[in-house]
Amino acid sequence: MSLTELDAEDGPAPGSATNGATLDSPPHPKVRRGRRNRLLQAPSLIVLGLVVIFPLLYSVNLSVRRYSPILPEGDGSWAGLSNFSRLLHDSQFGRALVVTVIFIVCAVALETVIGLIVGAYLHRLAHAHRLVTTVLLLPMIATPLVVGLMFSFALNAQFGYLTWVLQGLGIADADGLLSNPNSALAVLIMVDVWEWVPFIALMVIAGLRSMPQSPVEAARIDGCSGPQIYRHVILPMLRPVLAVAVLFRATEAVREFDKVYVLTGGGPGTATTVNDLFQYKTAFATFDLSYGAALGLVSFVAVLIVSAVTFRFITRSGEYR
Amino acid sequence: MVRISHAVSVLVTLLFIVLVGCTPNQLEADPRDADGWSQRYEGTTLIVLAEATANSAALEELIPEFEKKTGIAVELEQAPYDSVVQKSVLDFSAHRSGYDVVSFPYEYLGSFAEKDYIEPIDEWLDDPPAKIGPGFSTDALIPGLWRASSTWSGSTYGFPSNSAVMMMMYRKDLFNDSGEQAAFKQKYGYPLSPARTWDQYRDNAEFFTRDSGARVGGSKLDEPLYGTTLTGKRHVSTVLEWMNYAWGRGGAIFDEDGNLTIDSPENVEALEYELELTRFAPPGYTSATWDEVTALLQQGVAAQSITWGDTAGTIEDPQSSRAAGKIGYASMPGTDPKRPGDAHLGSWTYGINADSDNKEAAYLFMTWALSRPVQHGLAEKGGLPALRPTYEDSELRSEFPYWAQVLRSLQHARSRPRIPHWAGIADTLAQQLSTVLLGDTSPQEGLEAAQEHVSDVMADDVPITER
Repeated sequence: MSLTELDAEDGPAPGSATNGATLDSPPHPKVRRGRRNRLLQAPSLIVLGLVVIFPLLYSVNLSVRRYSPILPEGDGSWAGLSNFSRLLHDSQFGRALVVTVIFIVCAVALETVIGLIVGAYLHRLAHAHRLVTTVLLLPMIATPLVVGLMFSFALNAQFGYLTWVLQGLGIADADGLLSNPNSALAVLIMVDVWEWVPFIALMVIAGLRSMPQSPVEAARIDGCSGPQIYRHVILPMLRPVLAVAVLFRATEAVREFDKVYVLTGGGPGTATTVNDLFQYKTAFATFDLSYGAALGLVSFVAVLIVSAVTFRFITRSGEYR
Repeated sequence: MVRISHAVSVLVTLLFIVLVGCTPNQLEADPRDADGWSQRYEGTTLIVLAEATANSAALEELIPEFEKKTGIAVELEQAPYDSVVQKSVLDFSAHRSGYDVVSFPYEYLGSFAEKDYIEPIDEWLDDPPAKIGPGFSTDALIPGLWRASSTWSGSTYGFPSNSAVMMMMYRKDLFNDSGEQAAFKQKYGYPLSPARTWDQYRDNAEFFTRDSGARVGGSKLDEPLYGTTLTGKRHVSTVLEWMNYAWGRGGAIFDEDGNLTIDSPENVEALEYELELTRFAPPGYTSATWDEVTALLQQGVAAQSITWGDTAGTIEDPQSSRAAGKIGYASMPGTDPKRPGDAHLGSWTYGINADSDNKEAAYLFMTWALSRPVQHGLAEKGGLPALRPTYEDSELRSEFPYWAQVLRSLQHARSRPRIPHWAGIADTLAQQLSTVLLGDTSPQEGLEAAQEHVSDVMADDVPITER
């Protein structure tokens, strides 16, 4: 406990160097302000330390040991990096990663395209726009677990009304969509799209609202057609907003769990076992907590790297403010 | 949570002090109130964790009687299956003693016993810590059920808290139809009857699989009829059902020496058999668990089923089931028509938290829960008793058509390995079995993959000496 508090308080220390204070120089108003700032920040930093850094250190500790509350060999003894080398050979982990990547790429791409179209359309609606926006919010504010349950009833092979509709359209066969590996993953992607298109659409609307109108008008005067204006003027100006929205959605989609858990349980076979579900099963169904911690850390670092790169890419392009 | 329960326990204690203070002699002066139960632990609060089921709901209704008899307050916390396991493991491993009594799935017995999470009760069986009412006797417990749910390495750790077991269900209206009987005889050369062997089960399944519009039992079908139900989702129910087929052929997860035999020829053959049954099962079986099977039986679209006896109550409920009154209950088919096959046992166990401060009161609670009046009360409310006399009760037998069969199945019940690795084995098997039943890989390859993965994970822990 005390270790983490120390960590948390040490946290802002390097900041003093950047503030330009050295040991020799007399207290400068700026330094005093820095100190006061740090004092004011301390409570929140301590809380942050407790809820973020402590669990993180705890998982690191767990991941280099052999601990399980139920397995006989899980006595907490030192395991070195064996948990990490194990995940390199774990074909189930590999498959879970592939499924996760497919899920993220498809879901986020579809959400972006559809959200962009819906957002652009709604922005042009003069009167109905408020009502439509409210309706749009509905899928987003529904708890993911509830979304999963709703669709699990609707897509039940025997009694689901959506299965009935889809069979009528010739999309689903007698086994229903969740019984087939490919269609089960497609269903999960579509449910995610249903849930999150409104988010992208709202971001797009906000982007369009705050956009300066003069370039658009200038383009129009120059004789650009509607599609040309969207393609060459509006879209580039929307890019930073879209990039943030995509980053948000992608980091969210990495954590996909609830809907998969309820709808398919990761099956059929391993067709829909996303990374988070795999980790959950490892850590809390088979209680292999150390291996679960190693999996969690690796995923954490991977997400950190991907988002850092993406974020840098966005800021470097100079259009992010 | 813990803080709340402490607050509640303080309140309850205060309440008792007030009660006892107001009527100092009433409880002692009226031993009929106690019914022979000790009141030594008066004022204690027990926190009990159990799965949220009809059984626990029924128990909850009866708990005030225990509180009246013993003066012990009981808080029953109910949670779904996964959650019960997670909550208890968390509580045990943190040594917080948040729960005094936990009702847990029996496959965790080995793990909890080896880790000293639960308290052995051997001493108390002969010499109870306090006076136990006359309604409790260990002789009344169904012996196999008690052994499977509660004994590990020669010690006893508790009592069975319910008694789920798998059995065969069939549509007796269809099997008794003379037209169907004649047609069956003509096609297969032997008379139609509820299956006693797995070959017969297969023939019956094939025979009764019909398209909508076809006739069955003299009337036209509005929707297709299927010969059997099947669970094939990547879910533990798929593993448990398959184990009946495997046992029927002499297969098992471990051989007698405790070595892994997941890909044994018998197991492969059993999975091939199950794969053939998929031809006679309703579509969507690869996303079906026991819940879907129950719904299918209620809809009356399946002629036979290998499923859990504890679902019979809902299948016999005329409010929700079209098949109410039409179902026959029988033992698991086997290889020898004269001897029923092994049926999968699915019991839960009451255990006392080894860190609990109220172990003696907890023991009192367990014996009360297993006493005859309580078990009878449970049965009447749709719960699953664990006593032989309750299953032999003529009143209950006439009320529930499946009552006698539950006891018969329990006498031929077999337990899954009760080892710490079971959760991992079950998850691997669920994955491979659902892939095979989907047709994505062959039974041989699927079980080989499962064998390989489980061997890797278990590494030095095989052979298993106790299961």
